[in-house]
Amino acid sequence: METAALVVALVIALALFFDFTNGFHDTANAMATPIATGALKPKTAVALAAILNLVGAFLSTEVAKTISGGIIREDQISGAIFPSLIFAGLIGAITWNMLTWLLGLPSSSSHALFGGLIGATIVGLGVHGIDFGVVMSKVVLPALLAPLTAGLIAFAATKLAYAVTRRYDGKPDGRDGFRWGQIFTSSLVALAHGTNDAQKTMGIITLALIAVGWQNHPEPELWVILSAAAAIALGTYVGGWRIIRTLGKGLTDVKPTQGFAAESSTAATILASSHLGFALSTTQVASGSVIGSGLGRRGSEVRWRTVGRIFVGWLLTLPAAGLVGALAALLVVWSRNAGLGVTGVIIDAVVAVFAIVFMFLRSARNQVHAGNAMSEVAASGHAVNIDDNPPPTPRQQRKLEEQERRKAAAKAAAAKKADAKKAAKKGNVK
Amino acid sequence: MTIDWLAFLQVFLAALVGAVVVVGFYALGLRLLATSGNIPVVAPAQFTDAITVVSPKRIAKAEKAAAKAAAKNPLSEGQKRLALIAAYACFVICALAVVAGILLIVLG
Repeated sequence: METAALVVALVIALALFFDFTNGFHDTANAMATPIATGALKPKTAVALAAILNLVGAFLSTEVAKTISGGIIREDQISGAIFPSLIFAGLIGAITWNMLTWLLGLPSSSSHALFGGLIGATIVGLGVHGIDFGVVMSKVVLPALLAPLTAGLIAFAATKLAYAVTRRYDGKPDGRDGFRWGQIFTSSLVALAHGTNDAQKTMGIITLALIAVGWQNHPEPELWVILSAAAAIALGTYVGGWRIIRTLGKGLTDVKPTQGFAAESSTAATILASSHLGFALSTTQVASGSVIGSGLGRRGSEVRWRTVGRIFVGWLLTLPAAGLVGALAALLVVWSRNAGLGVTGVIIDAVVAVFAIVFMFLRSARNQVHAGNAMSEVAASGHAVNIDDNPPPTPRQQRKLEEQERRKAAAKAAAAKKADAKKAAKKGNVK
Repeated sequence: MTIDWLAFLQVFLAALVGAVVVVGFYALGLRLLATSGNIPVVAPAQFTDAITVVSPKRIAKAEKAAAKAAAKNPLSEGQKRLALIAAYACFVICALAVVAGILLIVLG
């Protein structure tokens, strides 16, 4: 029993740490655009994001229930080994996150978490431990469909925003006002982030509690919600400073109108998905929105190569983290079968500590250059190429044609007049 | 393995309606604000070198252009006031839509 308690304590600590890094890493998603377009002061933006992440974590627990009561078949869980497997899964997730972060690959901490958990469970309990129906419908399909959904909505919203504010009389169009709007939409994104990402940690901790029999319902306890919310808020606040320092080194050209539309779509998509318990990667949804809204501007075209690179990084995360999680779980299972008890867990813990220390040392070195300074979401803006001189809208086109016609008519009339004059002169001479 | 495809459609429609209502009404509000002669000129709070920096000179220029355009505005005072009220109404609708969406999530 004591070892079980120890392992659960380790799982909780590691899960909260994972939550912290998630907030640490993802602040840029919510707050990069308003800081870049100058809507908010960096300090204000980061504080706001932290508070809203905290609030968001309390709004809905559907995503937590997906993890604690859906993906893993609880009836198949044998209480003794499962907490160690969750631990192995978490180590898989954190290690993969660290690797992608060091290599500068696009990744998703949420998918790393699921990958690690699934990989560890398959190794420890076998394939029957996973409910693949739930994995498909609540994790894999939302991962593919949500960025597409957000992109389509952002495209429509951007077109709408530009069409409504476009003026043909040359007077100021008031699009500057979208800067104010961005304060609200980016706050909504931070809130949505809390409803989806903080839930994943709650789900993991609840799953561990269920496995050792300390809890028998998938609803997370209040202290779990509180600690997960606090961890993500703290991570957001701390991570924000690093992002602010790196921000401004190379952001894509996001106009306030476009940013407003993109953020509205991101927030709407994540909030709607959270409500139905879809565990999404918020980074991917935000990237989808940025690409979609870029395409909503006139004279834009997709750089398919960049899109492809982002997409491959996304696809890789789940199986790769699964593999690392499976390896960590293998160690746990092996040491257990060899009669060494929790030695495997301890080895895993040591590896995890090394990985974390390495990550911190690396981040403390402050290697900030154009290559790594951009948040992933901002980087995805590069997937769309926007013409500086966009082609005219149909109405502008008609106006131009009308002007051309008038000019031609005036020219023809002038020519005719001149001809008539010449003819008259000739007549006079005769 | 049963997959609830309807849920994806639900998410798409809910998010689409939410985003279109918020963006549409906000844009309409800005448009009406501009029509009423109160053209918003928002200076960036703090500049980063990543974006086009708006200098105080350019802000002053934009404000001057806005004032000039407002002076040229052929709308009567009453029409302007109506546009202003309509603009604020649009912003209120926006805020209400967001609050309603969040309430749906919390209560639903």
